[in-house]
This record gives sequence, structure tokens and C-alpha cells, in this order.
Amino acid sequence: MKEFNAKINQLIEWVLIVAMFAIVAVVSWQVFSRFILRSPNSYTEELARFLLMWIGVLGASYAYRTRAHLGLDLFYQKMIPTIRRKCSFLIEFSVLITALSLLVYGGGMLMNLSFALDQRSAALGINMGFIYVALPISGVLITLNCIENIIYFFKQTQEQE
Amino acid sequence: MEMTAILLLVCFFTLLLINVPISISIALSTLLALVLHMDFTPAATTIAQQMIGGIDSFALLAIPFFILSGLIMGQGGIARRLIESAMAMVGFLPGGLALVNVMSCMMFGAISGSAVAATSAIGSFMVPEMKKHGYSENFAAAVTASAATTGMLIPPSNILIIYAIASGGVSIAALFVAGYLPGILLGLTLMLVCAIYSLKNNYPVAARLPLALVLEKVIAAIPSLLLIIIVIGGIIGGVFTATEAGAVAVLYALVLAVFVYKELSLDELPKLLLKACETTAIVMLIIAASSAMSWVLSYSHIPQMVSQFFLTLSDNPLLILLLINLILILVGAFIDMTPAVLIFTPIFLPVAAQFGMSPVQFGVMIVLNLSIGLVSPPVGSVLFVSCAVAKTSLHKIIKPMLPLYCVMFMVLMLVTYLPAISEFLPRLLGLID
Repeated sequence: MKEFNAKINQLIEWVLIVAMFAIVAVVSWQVFSRFILRSPNSYTEELARFLLMWIGVLGASYAYRTRAHLGLDLFYQKMIPTIRRKCSFLIEFSVLITALSLLVYGGGMLMNLSFALDQRSAALGINMGFIYVALPISGVLITLNCIENIIYFFKQTQEQE
Repeated sequence: MEMTAILLLVCFFTLLLINVPISISIALSTLLALVLHMDFTPAATTIAQQMIGGIDSFALLAIPFFILSGLIMGQGGIARRLIESAMAMVGFLPGGLALVNVMSCMMFGAISGSAVAATSAIGSFMVPEMKKHGYSENFAAAVTASAATTGMLIPPSNILIIYAIASGGVSIAALFVAGYLPGILLGLTLMLVCAIYSLKNNYPVAARLPLALVLEKVIAAIPSLLLIIIVIGGIIGGVFTATEAGAVAVLYALVLAVFVYKELSLDELPKLLLKACETTAIVMLIIAASSAMSWVLSYSHIPQMVSQFFLTLSDNPLLILLLINLILILVGAFIDMTPAVLIFTPIFLPVAAQFGMSPVQFGVMIVLNLSIGLVSPPVGSVLFVSCAVAKTSLHKIIKPMLPLYCVMFMVLMLVTYLPAISEFLPRLLGLID
């Protein structure tokens, strides 16, 4: 599981790098086409917005893995080790519940709805489901990482007892 | 209604206190609050929709661009040139290096959008430098942290973009221009306090450089400062949007760092892109969750309740505005700036508007106010970064922070009660009437 997570995350890293590069390129192209070519187009703005949503949602799973999300660790640092370990479990479970209920389930429902209603974007005509699919993907990745962490904490607790 | 608010608050703070990431704390407590009103399936779907809708905005796209350009400027020798020019200009005054620190942060703030980026880019150079010349590392860290907040007001500023969205369409150009005077005022008063503090502690004063050398250093920084004209000039002149300006800033910084200064190689680019993605994703998830929470709050009519409550309290605008400020300072101490702006703008802006405050002035006020939270415990992210850069601990930095907090509060009061400080420039340029 650990290796699987590591592999998947490497893939996500490259997806993110490419998306970030693309977003700079797309908006630069928008400026270029308006000033130099004098033929502004309607699809660059939409494409850039979709890329941003993908970076935001997929990046959330990456940032969870690198533990970069901001939290209030003032009290956490001061807790005695046994309580802190219990808190670590609670944190992972909170993240797990959020990922499963909002990203996987809520996001999945949203995606299904868009596919069912054939809801398409204004300029590119992409089905919005392909944008929303980032939500369940990110949710599954966060869930996998969460389970890995919970197993790790569990083993650690057993070793200490 | 009250039940929703209470459940939301209790759940949010409990999760926050045990160190659940702030975005998750917001999202999970929002879900629980909405489940009071409807079944699980529509609640989860609605929140997912509000979350993704919250980051579906072309204006928000400016944020990753200013994050990325900030990273490139820090790595590519642009930050260092700004510091050297500040050194040449104010280094010989009393408390020279502290003044250089504040001024570099202001200049960095004028070309990048994030205070954390300024803290690490300027602090990692200035704090060791100040230490080497006999300043205490705690004072150095305190100066860096408080000076970095000037960049929140001095445009381009990511948080002003977020406010523009939260307020429902205040012009980004007007907000950017409005930020200049308060940001510069804050910087100058911080410099004054630093000079007094340094005189009292007998910190060394550097020799005045010959004029030729001063000119040389200032000229070396001009290509970096040209970004101000391109980005801000472009936005104000209506040549391009803040987002397009951000993309131009990335390209400009990249060309400068790679081809002109030759301090960044293209091999390092993927690493910077990934770092920018990480920071962007953290901010976007917070924005997504805060938009959902803000929606649930207005769904249960909480902003109206708060407005009505404030209007019954007093009809003295001085008092109400002071009260709003005090509440926001408390909020800012516990919640990061982005969610605080997104959640509290819809609640307090209508109240302030009732007392005649313009949305532009309110934006400058809330950002300056929450900047105090950025540099105060327990969650001040800028304070933590500057502590880490200076390798000192939180409780040691508080004492030198105290006079700087006073300065920030004084400037906040000026901004609250003197609309002209925020509104003069945008009115002059015809961006507001």
C-alpha cells in the first residue's frame, strides 16, 4: 500500500507540474493573442479556470501527503504523548470522514448529476463531469493516504504498549 | 438558526484545537451544520458543489501566479537586489539594518502577493545579516514578520483579490490602488519605531555609502521594480486583468531570473512549479471550504441576525466600528486570513455600510486588521515563518513585537476613522466616485 501510494503521488506531482505550466502558458497566450494577434478567443479563460480547479482539488491530496495544510498545532505540540497519539487518530478520522463524505460521495454525486444532465461548459463544450471528476479522485487519494497513516499510528501504538 | 450557528462554532473550534487542518475543520463542521437542515445526500452534494463553485473563478487565478512569481523572485536573485538597493538607501540611518528589512519587505510586497513569501525571501537574508551586526535575533524576527504584512496592503495582494470576490464585486483595481497609502504609512511608522528601538539598544549604524555606489545599487534593482509598472500600471490602465497581470509577472520574473540575472536554471523550474501548486492547493481548499461555510451561514440567515444585533447595540458609528475591529482582531488570532475574509466579509460589510463605510475602505480595514492576526499567536503563519527563519521561539519574539503591535493598531485606527487614507488615490485615478 505504501509503495502504491508513493507511485500514485509521483504521478500526481507530474500532473500538477504540467497543469501549473499549462495554466501560465494558457493565460500568457490569452494576453498574447489579444495584443499581438488582435484575435482574442473565448476558450482560454475557461480552460485556465478548469486547470485551476484541478490544481486546487488534486493539489489538496498532494498537500495532505506532504502535511502542508495549515493547522493550529500550538496545543497539539504541548499534549502528553498518549493524548497526542489519540488526537492523531482523531485528526486522521476527521480527514477520512471529510474526504469520503464530501469529496468521494458529494463530489461523485455532483459528477454523476452533470453527466446525467449532460451539463456542458459555455466555451469549450466540455461536460462538467470531467471537471468534477477531480473531486472523487482527490477524495480517494486522501482516503488511501489516511488509511496508510492510521495503520502506521496503530502499529506505533502497539509497539509502545 | 441559533442551533446551526452554535453547532458550527463548537464543532469548528473543537476540530481546530486538536490540530485538524483548518480547511477540513471548516468543511466538516459545515457539513454537520447543514445535515441539521436536510438529508445527508443533498447536504453533501450541495457542499461539494459550493466548494468547487467557490474556486471556479478567473480572478482567483491571479493567486497561483503571484505565488509562483514570488517563488521565482526569491530564488532568482530579485529579492537580493531589492535588499541591496534598500541597504544603499537607508542603511546608514539609525537602526539601519532594521529599516533596510522593512523597506525590502515593502518593495518585495510591491512586486509579489504574499506575506509568507516576503518573510522567507527577505527574512532568510536579513535576519542573519542583522544578527551578524549585533541585533538580537528576536528583534530581527519581529521586524521581518510585521514588515512583511505591509505586502498584504501594497499591491499586488492575493488577499485583496479574495476580498474582492467575498464582497461581491468591488473592483480589484480600486482595491489595489487603495492599498498603497495605508501600506506605505504602516511601513514608515514601523521604520520609525525600529529606529527608536535601535537607538535605545545602541545597535550599530553603517557608514554612508558614496553616492556613485548608491546609484549603482539602486539601478541594479530597477529591472525588478519595473514589474510594479507593468503589473500595477497594466491593471489600473485597464490594459489587462489582475489574472493576466499575474501571468505576465511570472514570465517577466522568469526571464529576469534565468536570462538576465542568471541565478535560476530551468532545471529548477519543476520544483518551483510543484511548490507553487502545493501552496495554491492549500489556499484553494481553504477558499472552497470557506465558500461552503459562508453559504451555509447565509442559508440560515446568520449574517442578517448579526447585522440586526449590531444595529440594536448602538447608533454610534465610532463605537460599532471599534467593536467590529476588536472582534476581527480576535478572529484573526485564531483563524487564518483567507477564511476569515471569506466568512466575515458578508457578515460585517453590511453593518459597516450601514454606518457609511465604503466597500473599498472596509476591504483595506479588514485586511490590515487580520494582518495583526498573521503576526500574533496562536495561529500567525507569518510569525511562525519568521521564527523558523530566525531559529528563535515564539515566546521570545513577543516582547520585541509589542511596540510593533501598537503601531499596527494605531494605523488600523487611522484607516478605520479616516476614509481618505484608503479612498484618496483610487478617487484621484477615477476608480471610485
